[in-house]
Amino acid sequence: MALTPEDLKNLRRQRLISRAVAVPLSFFVAATARLRFRYGLADAARLRTEIWAKLDAHDGPVIWAANHLTLIDSFLVYWAIFPMSRVLEDRLIPWSTPEYTNYYKLGGPFKAGFIRALLYCCRCVPFLRGGEDAASEAWRQKAYDKCVWLLRQGGSVFVYPEAGRSRSGWFEARRPKDFLGRMALDVPNAKILCVYLRADEQLATTVRPPEGSVFRVHCDLIEGARPGETNPREVSQRLFDRIAALQNEWWRDCPHPKNCAGNDAVDLKAPLLQENFSEDLSDADPEWLERHLTPRELAGLRAKSGADFFRTFWRVFAAKEACHKALARAGLTMPNGAFRELEVDLFRRKAVHVPTGLLLDLRFTDDDEDKLHCLAVLRGGFIGDETAEGDVVWDICEVPPGVSPGAFARERALEFIASCNDELGGPAALALSEDGGLPTVLWRGKPQDWSLTLSHSGRYAACAFMVS
Amino acid sequence: MAFMRKQAVIEATDINTLPPDEVEKRITAGVKKYATNEANFAQADGNTPYLGQIIGMGIESSNLADITMSIERQFLTKLTTKIPVTDGSAEYKLAPGELGKLRILDGQDALAATPGLSVKMLMDLGHMPSSASYLDKVVSFAYIMACGDGWKMADALKKMTAKAEKLVGTERADAIANVKALAAQARDYDALLADAAKLSAAKQKTYLNDKASCDALDNELNVVLDKIKGHASGGDAAAIAKLRTEEAEVRTRLKMSAAKLRVSKDVAEAAGRRRPIEEQKVAEVRKALQEAVSAAQTLA
Repeated sequence: MALTPEDLKNLRRQRLISRAVAVPLSFFVAATARLRFRYGLADAARLRTEIWAKLDAHDGPVIWAANHLTLIDSFLVYWAIFPMSRVLEDRLIPWSTPEYTNYYKLGGPFKAGFIRALLYCCRCVPFLRGGEDAASEAWRQKAYDKCVWLLRQGGSVFVYPEAGRSRSGWFEARRPKDFLGRMALDVPNAKILCVYLRADEQLATTVRPPEGSVFRVHCDLIEGARPGETNPREVSQRLFDRIAALQNEWWRDCPHPKNCAGNDAVDLKAPLLQENFSEDLSDADPEWLERHLTPRELAGLRAKSGADFFRTFWRVFAAKEACHKALARAGLTMPNGAFRELEVDLFRRKAVHVPTGLLLDLRFTDDDEDKLHCLAVLRGGFIGDETAEGDVVWDICEVPPGVSPGAFARERALEFIASCNDELGGPAALALSEDGGLPTVLWRGKPQDWSLTLSHSGRYAACAFMVS
Repeated sequence: MAFMRKQAVIEATDINTLPPDEVEKRITAGVKKYATNEANFAQADGNTPYLGQIIGMGIESSNLADITMSIERQFLTKLTTKIPVTDGSAEYKLAPGELGKLRILDGQDALAATPGLSVKMLMDLGHMPSSASYLDKVVSFAYIMACGDGWKMADALKKMTAKAEKLVGTERADAIANVKALAAQARDYDALLADAAKLSAAKQKTYLNDKASCDALDNELNVVLDKIKGHASGGDAAAIAKLRTEEAEVRTRLKMSAAKLRVSKDVAEAAGRRRPIEEQKVAEVRKALQEAVSAAQTLA
C-alpha cells in the first residue's frame, strides 16, 4: 500500500514540528526521569561515548531495536542513548510506533489531548497490534510503510522486536518476529541499534519501572540486512541473537540470578495422592479442588473424564509446584498454600503468576502411568520442545528403599551435574548450599547460577538445572 | 460419590469447648498420616513446622491443603454466617451464627506453618478466644522461617564437612573450598540471627519489594481506568466491556498482591520483636550453626 501525498505531507509536517520542539522535549524527558521518578543511569558517559562513536561513523538510517518491559521504555532508551548535546541531530532522533489502544485514548479529553500532543511531538506513528479485520491490517501496513519511508529518507525508527512487552521478563531469541528482518531488507542501508535496558529490580512487565530505579544499558550498532540475505526470518534471527547476547551481558553484572527454573515430580501411585479422589479417580472433593485450582483450571479439569481427571489434576499441580520454584529463584516467594496465585494452561504449556502477570513456560519430560515430571522456566534460557533441545537438563530416578528421598535427591543431583560436564571434576568438587531455602550449587567454593531445582514424591526423586 | 478420605470418620467438636493446648494436640494428630518424617512427628510440639525434613514433620506440599481441611473437619465454630465483603461480591467473610462447620477462607492460612500457628490463626480469626499464655509459647512465622533456613544451612555444612573428611588429593581440596564457602555463609547467617534488628532489616527488604509490586499494580489499574475514561466518550461498548474485564483482572491481582504484602509486613515486624520463646529457638539454631562452622574450621 503506497503512502498518499497527504500522508507524506503529514509526516513532513510532524517532522518539522518535532524538530522545532526537540530541545525542550528532551529536557522534559530527562527532567521527568531524573526529578519525578528519581531514575538514574549507570555509566551513561561511557555508554554514550562508545555508541556515538559507532553512530557517527554511519551516515545512513538506523533502526533502534530494544527489549520491552514497561510502557515508557521508548522514553528511557532515548534518554539513555541521546545526550543533550546531540538533540539537534535530527536524523538520529527516532520515530516510535506506540500501540494506539495503549496510549491514544487515555483519560478524559484534557489528559488524552495532552498525551496525543506529546506523542505527536515525540515523532510517534500509532500502530495497531490487535485486530485481524481489513481495516486493522490496512492500519498496520500504512504504519509500516511510514516507517520504511522515514528510514529511506535517512531517518531513525524505534521498534520493539518482540512486538509487545515481554510477559516473562526475558527476551527470547528463539521466537523471532519477521517484521524486523522485513524492515531491514526493505531498507538495506539501515543499521540496527540493538539496546538492552533494564533496572535490576524490574522483575515483570509494569507501567513504568519502580521509582529510584538505576538502569544499566548494553547496546551495539550492527549491520541490518547483509548482502545476499533475502529471508526476513534469517535477518530477524541474527538481530534477535545480538539482543539476546546483550541481555546475557546485562545479566552478568546483575546481582540477581539470571537462570530461574523449577521442576516437580509426582508419583502417581502414591496412596496419599488419591485420598481426595473418588475410587475410580474420575472425580474429587470439590472443596479440595477449589483450594488448588482457579475457576478456569477447574473448568478445564471438569471437561476430563475417567482416570484422565486424576492425571490432569496432578499435571496442573506439578506445573504449579515447578513454577513456584522458578519464581522463588527470581526472588518472588509465594505464601504457603497460595496455589491459586498460579494459573496453568496445559494446552499452551504456559502458566501465569496472577499477581505479577509473569508468564512461565512449561514442559512435561515424563508423563506416564507411574509418574509425572514437569519443568518450568521463567528466564535464563529456552525450555526446549519436541523439535529443539532446551537449556534445561533433568534427571528422574527411583529412590532406593530405606533411603531418605530428600537426601537422595541432593546426592543424586550432584552426581548428575558432574556427569554432564567433564570439566567439573566429579561430584566431590560440587556441594549444595541453602540460600534463602533454595539449593544452590557450589563448585570449588563458588556459587553457580544454574538454578538447580530438586523434587521428590513417593518412589521418585528428580532434579533439573539450566546450562545456559 | 464416595471419596476415599471419607473412610475416616471424624467427630467434629465445638472449638470453644476446648483449651488451646487440646486444639493444638488435635491439629497435630490430624496431620499424622501426611507426616513422612515419623521421628520428628513423634516429638512434635506446637512449634514443629509441618513442612521440611530436618526439624519439620516432612509433610509434602501436595498435602498443604489437606492440613487446612483436616482442621476444618475437626472443629465446629459459631462463625458460620456468610456476609459479602462488598455489595454483590461473591467474596464473603464470616460472622457469628449457628454452630457449624469451621471454614478457613482463601489466604487465611498463609502463616499457619506449625500447629501452634494454626491455633493462633484460629484465635486471630475469632473462632476461639485468644489466650496470651498460650501465644507466649508460639514461635512467630517470621522466626519459624528464619530458624528453618538456619537449620538447613547447618545441616548442609555438617554433611559437606563429613563428606570432605573422607576425600583425598584434588577432590579433598575442591571439597574444602566448598566447605569454606558454606562455613562463611553459615557464619554470616549466625551473625544475622544474633541481631533482631538486622534480621528485621533483611525481611524489610522483602516487604519493600512486595510493596513495589503492589504500587506497580496500582499504576496498572490507573492506566486501565484511564483507558475506560478515554473510551467512554467514543461509546465503543465492546472496547469498554473488554476494558472492564481487564479492570476486574487487575483488581484480582491487586487483591492477591495486597494479601502477600500483609504477610511480608507481618514477617518484617515480627522479626524485630524477639520474645523469650524465639530467643530460645534462635539460640538452638545458632548453636547448631556454630558447631557446624567449628567442625568445618577444624577440617579446613
